[in-house]
Amino acid sequence: MAVSDGISPPRRIGLTMPRRRLLTHAVIFLVLVGLWEIGSRAGWLDPLFYPRPSNILRSFWLIYVQNGNVWFHLYATLGLVFAGFVAGSILGVGLGALVGFQPLVRRFIKPYVIVLEATPRIAVAPLLIAALGFGAPSKIAIIMLVCFFAPFINTLSGVVNVSEDRLELFNSLGAGKMQVLRKLVLPEALPVIMAGERLALTAALSGALVAEFIQRDQGIGSLILIYTRNLNMASAFACIFTLTIIGFLIFRGMEWIDNRIAFWNTEAGMARVGTKRALAFRGAHG
Amino acid sequence: MADIPDAPDAAGGRSFRTARLIPHLVLFAAILIIWEAAVRTGLITSIIVPMPSKIGAAIWELYVAKGTIYKHFFITLTEAVVGFAIGAAVAISLAVFSALSETFKRYVAPYAIVLNVTPGIALTPIIIAWFGFGMGSKIALAAVISFFPIFVNTLTGLIQRDEDREELFRSLGGSERQIFAKLRLPAALPLLFAGLKIGLTTALIGAVVAEFAQATDGVGVLMSRFSFQLNMAASLATLLSMTLIGLILFYSMEFLDDRIVFWRRETRRAAKSRAKTRRWKAQMGE
Repeated sequence: MAVSDGISPPRRIGLTMPRRRLLTHAVIFLVLVGLWEIGSRAGWLDPLFYPRPSNILRSFWLIYVQNGNVWFHLYATLGLVFAGFVAGSILGVGLGALVGFQPLVRRFIKPYVIVLEATPRIAVAPLLIAALGFGAPSKIAIIMLVCFFAPFINTLSGVVNVSEDRLELFNSLGAGKMQVLRKLVLPEALPVIMAGERLALTAALSGALVAEFIQRDQGIGSLILIYTRNLNMASAFACIFTLTIIGFLIFRGMEWIDNRIAFWNTEAGMARVGTKRALAFRGAHG
Repeated sequence: MADIPDAPDAAGGRSFRTARLIPHLVLFAAILIIWEAAVRTGLITSIIVPMPSKIGAAIWELYVAKGTIYKHFFITLTEAVVGFAIGAAVAISLAVFSALSETFKRYVAPYAIVLNVTPGIALTPIIIAWFGFGMGSKIALAAVISFFPIFVNTLTGLIQRDEDREELFRSLGGSERQIFAKLRLPAALPLLFAGLKIGLTTALIGAVVAEFAQATDGVGVLMSRFSFQLNMAASLATLLSMTLIGLILFYSMEFLDDRIVFWRRETRRAAKSRAKTRRWKAQMGE
């Protein structure tokens, strides 16, 4: 089957919370933060390594407003992530479709895919930097490599695992090749492909960070590294919480896009588009 | 691992195995020859892409003649496995507690989600500052990164309820503990193992990335050292060892999966029931 993150949507296992519980959660969170602060002030936690929440907050103020230096690095990282993600997923989806439609190629590519999958792909980062030099090209290449794989495998398996029964129905009704592709293969493969894209975008962020750790020139990854080297842990944590927010936005954004594009995959999406179409139809016919 | 369906004609019996291997080997040899020729004629720069013969020589040197790789190989393998074991132990126990107690789940879940959307790799510099330059920091990063997929999969597996079967257990007088041990736990195992497999792969990535950032031993260090010496052949030979670690980890987990979750595979189930029959017959003195 296709790769998924192997992680079911949090909603299904009840990891999202209703609004009325938010207050209890907030209280618990504040108590934890308060304990941390008190522990640090009382000298149980070394503030050099475990920064105080108040210091982290001050760092947020510093790097976002007073110095404003985080914006430049954030912009650099996100630009790379975007470029690498787009390039990598176009490559992945394209090659996946190509291989999926060619049984012969598919047969011969399997061992290579297994080897590629077992290799930690991020490990190729130093090699790519040596080959392509410091700077954006090698970073983008690393991100491409990291996010190529999931869209590739998912497109491949999405295209291959088309339901036999439906295909037979299409053929018996005399559907042409393009019709099968557009009305059967694409709708069935798209949710799987989108799952791959979601994984790829998360991987792209990690890839960018690793590339920046190694190159240490600009970007949020090098910022974290430099702050930690200077034992400015509060600012390093502010950067990491920034990444948490970005990660959350990516997660939600991809979910939203997924719902829009592959609307037939969920009941709610089906209902939404169905109602809209019914209204349009009624409007057109008086 | 990704399961690419074979081409229809590739489905053969066991006796065809070796015969089917030949075209693969021929193709592999052809690729190597073309690659070698392209580099020798200068079509591809040998600095960026080394000749296969050079890579072969580097493999010979690293693995046989000098054997330098083994020390680093085992260090990285240990880091990944120990980190994975810690991450898995914490993840599984938290998941079991969450499955048993709704309240516990409600209060742990938000933190698990925050941990999930933060790219774990971003913590690398901080974890190194906390745990030092030795193996400890690599193990910690591997544990942090492999935690979430295992947690979510175990939790998902444990909270899926099969009402009919639980009813049967209850009507036969099964206690809550029996239902948990004999029904819910076995039902969760397939998902748990899927999570463990993902966790293992990510643990290896964590170990290698932490080695890139700061370390003295391990294949990650070897890899970046060779890359920055522009010794691409040796660098690729080192990459091969990471692939080997990945394959070893994956297939040992696959083996455990096959043995422990035996009821999912027809052949394993048959073998298991034959063994049980034999034991039973021996007991009955036949």
